This record gives sequence, structure tokens and C-alpha cells, in this order.
Amino acid sequence: MITESRLKKVLQSGHFAVTAECGPPKGADPEVVKSKGRILKGYVDSVNVTDNQTGVVRLCSLAACALLNAEGLDPVLQMVTRDRNRIALQSDVLGASALGIRNILCLSGDHQSFGNQPQAKGVFDIDSIQLIQTVRNMRDAGEVIGGEKLSAPPHMFIGAAANPFADPFKYRAARLATKVDAGAEFIQTQCIYNLNRFKQWMDLVRDYGMDNKVCILGGITPLKSARMAEYMAQNVAGMDVPEEIITRMKAVPAKEQRKEGIKIAVETVEALQAVKGVRGVHIMAIEWEDAVPQIVQEAKLFPRPQV
Amino acid sequence: MSVYAEQRGIDAIFSDYERISRTLMDHKSAELNIAIFFCQQLDPNQDVNRRVLERELGKRIRFFPLPCSGRIDSLHLMRALESGADKVYVVTCPEGACHYREGNIRAKKRIAYTQGLIEEIGLERECLELIVAPVGTAVTIDELAKGLLARKAPISRSPVHGQKA
Amino acid sequence: MITAERKPLSEIKEMIAPYKKILVVGCGSCVAECASGGEKEVGLLSSQLRMDAKASGKEIDLKEMTLDRQCVYEFIDQLTDVIGQYDIVLSLACGAGVQAVAEVFPKVPIVPALNTTFLGETKEAGLWIENCRGCGDCKLGVFAAVCPVTRCAKGLFNGPCGGSKTDRCEVDPNVPCAWQLIVSRLEDMGRLDLLRKVHPPVDWSKQQGKGPRKIYREDQRA
Repeated sequence: MITESRLKKVLQSGHFAVTAECGPPKGADPEVVKSKGRILKGYVDSVNVTDNQTGVVRLCSLAACALLNAEGLDPVLQMVTRDRNRIALQSDVLGASALGIRNILCLSGDHQSFGNQPQAKGVFDIDSIQLIQTVRNMRDAGEVIGGEKLSAPPHMFIGAAANPFADPFKYRAARLATKVDAGAEFIQTQCIYNLNRFKQWMDLVRDYGMDNKVCILGGITPLKSARMAEYMAQNVAGMDVPEEIITRMKAVPAKEQRKEGIKIAVETVEALQAVKGVRGVHIMAIEWEDAVPQIVQEAKLFPRPQV
Repeated sequence: MSVYAEQRGIDAIFSDYERISRTLMDHKSAELNIAIFFCQQLDPNQDVNRRVLERELGKRIRFFPLPCSGRIDSLHLMRALESGADKVYVVTCPEGACHYREGNIRAKKRIAYTQGLIEEIGLERECLELIVAPVGTAVTIDELAKGLLARKAPISRSPVHGQKA
Repeated sequence: MITAERKPLSEIKEMIAPYKKILVVGCGSCVAECASGGEKEVGLLSSQLRMDAKASGKEIDLKEMTLDRQCVYEFIDQLTDVIGQYDIVLSLACGAGVQAVAEVFPKVPIVPALNTTFLGETKEAGLWIENCRGCGDCKLGVFAAVCPVTRCAKGLFNGPCGGSKTDRCEVDPNVPCAWQLIVSRLEDMGRLDLLRKVHPPVDWSKQQGKGPRKIYREDQRA
């Protein structure tokens, strides 16, 4: 069992970090989670577990993180504010810490209308930035919202998401600064296909002096097909997939498209290593966890450093 | 009569609904009752021209001149049906020719809305009909009305028609 | 104003089916403004119900009335002389009006003809949009008069979220992203400083209340 955040140690020792994502099943079988963990172990520093992503009911992130922890991985608990009020959220932070989970990613969450429970009440008692601040205060001041003291504070390395491709573009760096002020220590971005736009955002981030205050991990999602690229370009909110990428995927026969997707991913990882202020990559290969070891190896990031 | 007096007249008729509902149209005849709301701009002599048909057909036909077809209200149409009109026509000026610019467009929307309401109670949409006056040729209201009278009748009758007063 | 929409006719007919003498009461305020429960709408609904009854051979006796405001007892009292002659009140008021009438005449059955929806503005003729959720703790001064509780689908106080694209909300491309609007308005006013600090967790107890909320003013009491 891990008692310290490996992600934090890797970043603090100046290494280029690699994290990946594990999507829990729409079912109660723990073996699904454990086997995904085994695929990723050794190739990544930490593994995010999504929290009922797109409002679809799945095995909860907290339980999945505990399962991964028992397998010897360093999980990142993704926590959305859509489904739980502040009582439940703070309670889950204490529970996660008690189970040895040491990383948390604070998010608002996709709107409930997207998932398989569109009639559910979206809670949104607090938003993602208020959650970051709450976890920070629990950890550093040993307090819950309202000021009452905890008997033992949680240990958490706090992260947030950032979308360099959503609007308003100019305001995004200011919003990042607000997240850092609230207590964010690492950032995982939306997946990057438009490197130029991402670099422009990093310029803004560095102008704000943010690169010294927070560890930014660039998001990568390998494309499985040209159709996936098109779908993401048109249907996913806040996503920027340039025409050249779609053309490149279409130019390759269907059987070869996965290989091309991995190639693009590896190129992006290599490019990100050269961008000043980027401290790592976050590989989101949902339902394609096998792709991660290949990408990590081809980008020459294997083996992971000893810390 | 001044333009606005005509409108007040129509509103007055339909606001005093309970009094006129039994007397507005002919309830004894087996023939169709027809109500014609029309834009006055179509026939400057409408006041005179329509009397011929009114004398000929009695309370089987009722004319309601409007200062503009855009002044038609869903309520007028409903009350007309409820007063025993089996078929209600709204005659507007041709598109683009409305004296008040959008009146005929508004009339179209209100007729469509009212058609939805009568469908809810099982009446056919065709009980209400928008008639756009022909472009170019000037037409008198009695000529127009004769043309309407010759048209195919809707299958349903007003639920009020034929009932004992 | 409070907005509402007329219920499907089948639902209304079902509620009044057991009754013959029906007092149809509209309201001249909010629901008249949004063309769902005013004098005209009382007329339209009554015409429909009468014609429908005639067509199905049912006997029905409807009276049409419209009060200036159906949520104020002074106006509701105008029903006193008539209400005894009817078996049921079909109210075209918002939920507040329906219940107020029931408070004044608790022995008379009353049913709603409308579904009360939201607090909003008349954006254009025929278009009403929600803009207030009665949170009891108005912060419009901080957010450039754009309410994040109402107009942000996630009610964020430190927005926008990652799904906001070309100033549209991720939930519905026809809905503008409230946070885009807040940021651009504050930018125009030179007040982006209002967003610099983290807005703390909101006190939702002011909106939830402990049961129905109330306002009590001693100076206004009789």
C-alpha cells in the first residue's frame, strides 16, 4: 500500500510525469478495475479514476481508487460536484485519505442531462474551485467548511482540470490563477490535438507566472479512428480537433487508423516535452488502456524513474 | 364608420358573448353557417357591397370587417365557431401588400394557433381558413364571399349548430 | 414575472370531469402577460370546453371571470357572491394564486389549468426566459447582472466550466454561456477584479428554507 503520493514525488524531483486514466465499469465487478490497473502498472506514475463521467452510473471512483491502491498503484480520485453536496464531498475526502488515496482531481462534472440519468437532480452545492479550496483547508487548516476542526486532517495532493481550448480564451489563464490561489497543485488539461493553440495558452500561463506555481500535465487521447476524430470535433464540448488531424486519419486505411492514432499521440507527447512549463502528460485512453504502455515506450518514457 | 369603430364593434360583439351566442348565427337551417372576417382595405365599399348577400342569406352569413387582418384574435375565431359558424374564413391582403406591413403575417400565425386549439376538441383544422386575396385585380367583398360559399364544405359542423337555442 | 403554460386539454378535462358547474377564473397579472391565464385565455379555454361538451353531449355550465391578481385576498373576495353557485373552480392562475383561492374557500374544490414554470422576463414578444431562481441572496452586483444560479446550467460561482464553447452552454447550443457573458460584461466595465477572488460556497439554506419560506413585516400588518 502506498502511503505517499507518487505523483507528487515524481514532480518534486523534477521528472517528466506520466499519468493515465482508468474508466470504471458500468457494473460491480472489481476484477475489471484490477485488470486495467495491471496493464498500466509500471508504465505510469499515477492513475486517474473518473467519477461517473458524462453522468453515466459507474462503479464509484472512491471504490475503484481503493482497488487500484491495493494493486500497488497511485490513484488520483476524480471528484465531481454534480452528484454530492458538501457534506458528502468532505466525508469522501476523509474516507479516501483513510484508504490511502493521496491525489484528488476536483471537477464540476458534465451536466446530468448527458448521461443515463437525465432526470437526476444536479447537486452543484459547491463548484470545482470551491472544492479545491475546501480540500486545501481540510488538509492545511484541519477544518471543514464553517471552521469546525477535524480530529485528523486528510493527506491530499490537489489537482484541477484546465481546458486551453474553451472560450473565453483570454480569461482562461486568469481562471487558472484563481484555481492555483484556491489550492491547486497540479493541472491536467483537456486532450491536445491543436498544439499551436496549446502553446499559445502556455504562453499566457507563463506570462501569469503560473508555470512556477503549478505543475501542468498536457492531456493526450490517442485516436482510434477517423470517425472518432470527427465525432470529437463536432460533438464534444470544449474540444479542438484541427482539420489536418482528421485529414491525416482519413488518409490511412481503416485497419491502420489505430496505429496512426498512436503515432500522433507519441508525436504529441514528444512535442509536449519540449514546451516550457509542461511538467508531464496525462494519457486518457478510455477503453483502450492497452495503448498506454505502447505510447509510453515509444515516447521513450519507460521505465518510470525511481523516487 | 371609422376604422377603429369597426374594431370596437367586433370586440364588442364577442365580449358580449353570452348575450349574442344564441343569436349571432342561424341555428335552424340545415345549411352551413359561414363567418367571414376580412380586411377592410380589400374593398372600400364593403359596407354597401356585403348587404346584398346578408339580405339573401340572412343569418347564415356574417361579415366582420377589420381595420387590418392583423387585428384578428384567436378569441374572435373561437367565439364565432361557438356561436354556430361551421366555417370561419379570414381574408387577408396579399403577402407584402399589407397596409400595416405585417398584419397578414400575424393573422396567419393566430389562425394556426387557433387551429391547434380546435383540433384539441376534435374539430377539423379546415373549419378555420386563411384566404389570401388575389394580387392585382380589385375584388368586391360580395364577389369574394360568393366564391367562398361555393367551396367544399368541411365535414364537421359547429358543435353548437343544430342544437336547441 | 411568474410564467406558466396551459396544461394539456386532456388533463384539464379529466380534472373537471366529475363536475357540471365550473367557475373559470383567470388572473390579470403575470399569467396574462405571458398569454396563458388572462381574460383572453379564460375565454379561449371556456369556448373549447363548452364546444367539447356540446360535441360529446355533456351538460356543462361555465362562468368566466378574471381577477386582477389571484394571489391577493382582497381580489379573491370578489368571488364570494358567485362561488356558491359552482361545484368547482378551474383556476388559470399560477400555483400561488390557486392556493390562495383555496385558502379563502377551503371547502370548494379548485384545480389548476396551468403548469407554473419560472420567474422570468419577456425577452421578445412571445418569448419568455427564466432569469431568477429566488435564491434569497442576490449577488447580481458581483456578476454584472447575470445570475449564475439561474443562467449557468451548473450554477457555478467560479465559472466558466470546461464545456463552454463559442459562448454557448454545453447543455444546449441555443443557450448562451452565462459565464462568458459575465466575463465579457465585467471586462467592458473594467471590473474583472470582481472575479479574482474565489467565491466561497453559497448559503443554500436561504433558498431551501425549512419548509415554505416567509417574509414578515410588522409595519405592514393591519
